[in-house]
Amino acid sequence: MIEFERYTLKNGLKVLLHHDKTTPMAVVNTLYDVGARDEHEDKTGFAHLFEHLMFGGSIHIQDFDQELQRAGGESNAFTSNDLTNYYEIIPANNIETALWLESDRMLSLAFTEKSLEVQRSVVIEEFKQRYLNQPYGDVWLELRPLAYEKHPYQWATIGKDIAHIEKAVMEDVKAFFKKFYCPSNAILCVSGNFDADSIKGLIEKYYETIPGGIKPARILPIEPPQTEFREKSIDRDVSANAFYYAFQMSERKNIGYYLGDFLSDAIGKDQSSLLNIALKKEQGLVSEINAFITGSLDHGLFLISGKLSEGVDFDALDNALWEQIEKIKKEGFTDRKLTSLKNKLSTAKAFQEQGLLNKSISLCMFELLGDANGINEEIDIYNRIQNDDILGFASSILKKENCSLLKINKTK
Amino acid sequence: MNRINAPKTHKTGAISFISPEKISLNDSTPLYWMPDVSNETARIDIYFDAGLRKGKNSIASMTSSMLLSGTSQKSSTEIHSRLDDLGAFFDIGLSHEGVMVSLFALKNNISEAYQVLLDAILNACFPESEFQEVKAEKIQNFKININRVAVLAQRSFQKQLYFGTEYASISEESDLQKIERRELLDFHKSNYVCGIFKVAIVGALQENQIQHISDLSKAHCIKKPLEFKSDFCNKAGVIHIEKKDAVQTAIRIGKTLFNKNHKDFLDVSILNTILGDYFGSRLMKNIREDKGYTYGIGSIISESGGSGYLMIGSEVGKEHLQPTLKEIEKEMLLLRNEKIGKAELGLVKNHLLGQMLKNSDGPYAMMDLFLSVESYGLSCDFYNSYIQRIHDIDASTILQTANMHLKWSDMSVISAG
Repeated sequence: MIEFERYTLKNGLKVLLHHDKTTPMAVVNTLYDVGARDEHEDKTGFAHLFEHLMFGGSIHIQDFDQELQRAGGESNAFTSNDLTNYYEIIPANNIETALWLESDRMLSLAFTEKSLEVQRSVVIEEFKQRYLNQPYGDVWLELRPLAYEKHPYQWATIGKDIAHIEKAVMEDVKAFFKKFYCPSNAILCVSGNFDADSIKGLIEKYYETIPGGIKPARILPIEPPQTEFREKSIDRDVSANAFYYAFQMSERKNIGYYLGDFLSDAIGKDQSSLLNIALKKEQGLVSEINAFITGSLDHGLFLISGKLSEGVDFDALDNALWEQIEKIKKEGFTDRKLTSLKNKLSTAKAFQEQGLLNKSISLCMFELLGDANGINEEIDIYNRIQNDDILGFASSILKKENCSLLKINKTK
Repeated sequence: MNRINAPKTHKTGAISFISPEKISLNDSTPLYWMPDVSNETARIDIYFDAGLRKGKNSIASMTSSMLLSGTSQKSSTEIHSRLDDLGAFFDIGLSHEGVMVSLFALKNNISEAYQVLLDAILNACFPESEFQEVKAEKIQNFKININRVAVLAQRSFQKQLYFGTEYASISEESDLQKIERRELLDFHKSNYVCGIFKVAIVGALQENQIQHISDLSKAHCIKKPLEFKSDFCNKAGVIHIEKKDAVQTAIRIGKTLFNKNHKDFLDVSILNTILGDYFGSRLMKNIREDKGYTYGIGSIISESGGSGYLMIGSEVGKEHLQPTLKEIEKEMLLLRNEKIGKAELGLVKNHLLGQMLKNSDGPYAMMDLFLSVESYGLSCDFYNSYIQRIHDIDASTILQTANMHLKWSDMSVISAG
């Protein structure tokens, strides 16, 4: 059970406090309700580029990192298709420094040309390092537009194309900040061994004078239900053929998220999962096979991916995979299997709850979904899952007409 | 309100380092236990003297990948399903000096999970079908990975770093093709069956659980203390591996150093932080935050048995290779020629003290700190000396240390791309 206190400042900033006296550290976590899905289709990659610019100095503070390091702290951030998250980990007695820094960049950035120029180039190198210069690195750049026809999930957070990042100008940066980086569009979680008597006063001191702004309305194109099987095959200079079956599924708030997560563990998380046993161990068709969900806030994807064994063709895998899928839809899993999956989830949850940063990020994410207390409820949701729920979910999702298949053909 | 001036900062409080309890499994094999955990989680690490140094890389590596592949009594699937029932996870790590198997579970299940895991490892029989499956997988992974510039550079770096010793030998695809099941059986018999050299437990277990774990392990421990090779010397010089379709070039630069027992270790460790081991380091500030040549650059000091090394690593745009090498050389020279300023040194000290506090947060972190000195025959006093050294070190010492250890001409300089 993770205890927390929740309140909202006058300017609309949501605040979560989690007091943990067992640690000497504190975490200041700030989630902004903006991600790559909020970008214009001609300016993709911008939410992520902007995340880099948040470290380029704010209105009153020239060097964010230097000030933080001087107080013994460290910081990082990440951007997804749904949201952008920043955090500072700092000795608890210096928590004020983190609040000072984070609130100043919520108030306003410095917007220097030098920072924009350098970070454009850093992000282009990140694009190359992660997506272009790795075997199978560009899979998601290909798979997203295949699986999504209308929704902005059709582009990756890094962007559709390096050219979009190259063309970013200061005017875009300022407009983006103005629209999305305001207290009413943010959730702040302060956790750790802070002084319980003074923490609210400190938060008020640094944040309450920031103009609240207006929480931007989000009106995104809705992805129409898929009615036809889609397939794309591309050639790449890699040494094994690879496959990615992507099935449309529900949004994060739906129970389907939990069923999808549970089912993907059951069929493709580790060596004792169903597809690993059937297609790898027994039939020798694949050298690896995995199942997982994207967990997106809007409608997500359920994926089955892997690499073919040497000498096996795509059709053989395809037939065997659909045979397994039909079997899942008919039989589901034994009680023993369901119980062992639940036991593993309980272990994983217990380990995750030890980390202060993990807890802080999760609290903010659940609050974004509507209620931070979701963090304390999810294990019960998993524990209530029955075989019938899995059968129902599998039958509604794992259908050919709900599937997009990307094949990577090796050219080596 | 005043937003321009930074709030007053406070000194990092004192840390009391906690050592685990020690139980001797035999004269050469300790079991360490950190019992003060306030939640249900537990972890057991078992160390086997079955690292890369014990034979051909490919055989050591394949044996470690197949530890849970089945015994004469139980199939691989049965073993994994049993661990699943207990809600347990495991992880296997391989280095030159050993194999570490980590088991994670809730405390009530962990001794039973340990029994399943240890039985599987000690009685592994490497069934032929599993062997062929893992072999094919290893070969496929090799073919995929050998196209990564980071892997190419790292392999070459390792050859130069451990030049002229058995540590320099690295598997090729042909080594994997040639492996026979019999070799794994032999390797397992010589290095696992009586190969446990350390067990480390974190978790609020019952005394009888600890006794059970200890009883299961005792008969399988090493009989005499381990000795590690320490006389390495890297081969300095520049090597470029051309990969014509690459859009980035991977860089690895470094040299042989020493382990935590060396008198200069703490000073070099602080120097390394200044050079490239935090976000505000000289290398990050120059090569990423000023020039934008890379997504990231860093330097580490690492230890391997009786020795250790320094390594700088990055991946840069192909066109930025030469300017990046020039800048790295320049940064080393600067550290050797100019004393570090007061503000920067103060910042680095605060940063290191903050990191120390974070890295000692909780029983798992404490155990990890302990284990990383125990391997070198040291106690947690090492960290008290480290903190003292952070407070005491001055700019002249940093300058001298840089002059001793950061000569560009001593470095093995590798690029691939």
